[in-house]
Amino acid sequence: MDLSLRGFPLVRVFTTMQNFFQILVSGISVGMIYGVIAFGYQLTFATSKTLNFGQGEALTLGALVGLTVVNFLIGMKLGTFAAYLLALPLVFAFGLAQGSVVEWLGVRQAMKTKSEAGWIMATIALGIIFKNLAENIWGKDPLKFPSPLSENPLTIMGVNIRPMEIAIVLGALAMMLAVELFNRRSIYGKAVVATSNDRDAAGLMGINTSLVITFSYALSSLSAALAGVLVAPITLTGASMGAALGLKAFAVAIIGGLSSGMGVVVGGLILGITESLTGFYIDTGYKDVPGLILLLLVLSLKPAGLFGKAAIKKV
Amino acid sequence: MLKVQNLVAGYGKVKVLHAVSIHVPKGQLVTLIGSNGAGKTTTLRAISGMIKPESGEILLNGTNIAGMPSHEITRLGMAHSPEGRRVFPTLPVTDNLLLGAFPRLTGARPKGDVDTDLNRMFELFPRLKERKDQLAGTLSGGEQQMLAMARALMLQPEVLLLDEPSMGLAPRLVEEVFATIARLKTAKITMLLVEQFAAAALDVADFGYVLENGRLAGSGPAEKLKNDPAVRAAYLGASH
Repeated sequence: MDLSLRGFPLVRVFTTMQNFFQILVSGISVGMIYGVIAFGYQLTFATSKTLNFGQGEALTLGALVGLTVVNFLIGMKLGTFAAYLLALPLVFAFGLAQGSVVEWLGVRQAMKTKSEAGWIMATIALGIIFKNLAENIWGKDPLKFPSPLSENPLTIMGVNIRPMEIAIVLGALAMMLAVELFNRRSIYGKAVVATSNDRDAAGLMGINTSLVITFSYALSSLSAALAGVLVAPITLTGASMGAALGLKAFAVAIIGGLSSGMGVVVGGLILGITESLTGFYIDTGYKDVPGLILLLLVLSLKPAGLFGKAAIKKV
Repeated sequence: MLKVQNLVAGYGKVKVLHAVSIHVPKGQLVTLIGSNGAGKTTTLRAISGMIKPESGEILLNGTNIAGMPSHEITRLGMAHSPEGRRVFPTLPVTDNLLLGAFPRLTGARPKGDVDTDLNRMFELFPRLKERKDQLAGTLSGGEQQMLAMARALMLQPEVLLLDEPSMGLAPRLVEEVFATIARLKTAKITMLLVEQFAAAALDVADFGYVLENGRLAGSGPAEKLKNDPAVRAAYLGASH
């Protein structure tokens, strides 16, 4: 009697800590997804001061194309993991193509006529078209994306971590690292940075800056498509999966700063973790509130973002 | 080498240049002088494709480049060190220089030996060598000017356009810039130089054009222009 009474608070503290870390883990993986999508916003903002507001739909399409390819390959008697790995290059290629189309149809013309709002409307419109397309091809009901990794969680110090959550973190970091290396090491990457610095001067170097901007849109959609196939196995896949993610990643890009590579990782983690914590400790109904409050705070106190250098162009 | 004929250009509905014709022969240094707002920078911007000319011809080695996008013009061998230096602030000095050789590094122009040229730039501008890993945005104005010129030279250009290389520099640095231009002239680099320091520009140039309100007001061998009473009164008395 005495023992159990004395033991009770300790156990409670222990499970409380466990819960906390559990929440943290899911917050981190969701946050990294936000981070990758936000990274995509940064890529196009850097080169052209424009964003693809259909970024969420780029994620949706990437996930759905991935789903179709994975299911096809599984139908060819391939293992889920092998099918997933083989599907990745196709998803990336699709992302590159989709992003190029968005730039071509939605952004190029608006930039040529120096229209301030044209690209906003055009990318939103294209996003809606892509969503409708997805609904017609894949239906409106959520689908199950076969998980390439075991769905049994690993238990580390009492905290359950799904292997896919680890894959999300690693995949997101690998994507950002690859782009960073490309920018620093290759002459083409330097051309991208030069275009971001000063488009006219980059043109004088013989750099085709329109092509650089198309490429940044392609890469931006590729990162969204990657986010799509990373998150799909742990959520439901469907035509409307990207809308909320795209919007939250936009908040992350604002919080972290549209010009700071590190900002989107930190911003993503902040949003992902506060969401999970609020959802668990307060109410899932309120889980979006702290992130949005943070967004409002950042916008009013530090409009360039927590890590941003330059001011955000008024849109 | 570079022949501009009846060039009309401007910004939107505002015409700045009215039928300007300029000839830059191979291996020569030609300067374009004139007061502020005369259209000197606009001329260079139209030649390098930063703005689209309304009409007129711009012949580079016989090819009409008028209206081409600037990256294509650069790939034909035209280097432009623009007004305000326009270096890439978040990239190191070395990367700025390598970007000057972008068409060579990507197969659009004969590659040659980019590394040797890089070292030659560091010899020509020792200050850049000291700062080669520094971000261009952290350089002083004079150093940025050196970088902008060196970056343009990295193209191994057929023609080099230099826009106000002395702008905003301390007198000692202005001298240094002109000494560098004189050295480039000895190396037989074809140049079109736009300058506010008309006297210094005419000292170093072979030939000069005087631009006034978007029209040519005179031209001639630099030596002759320097002694022209009208040019002296308008541009040499006050500016130097």
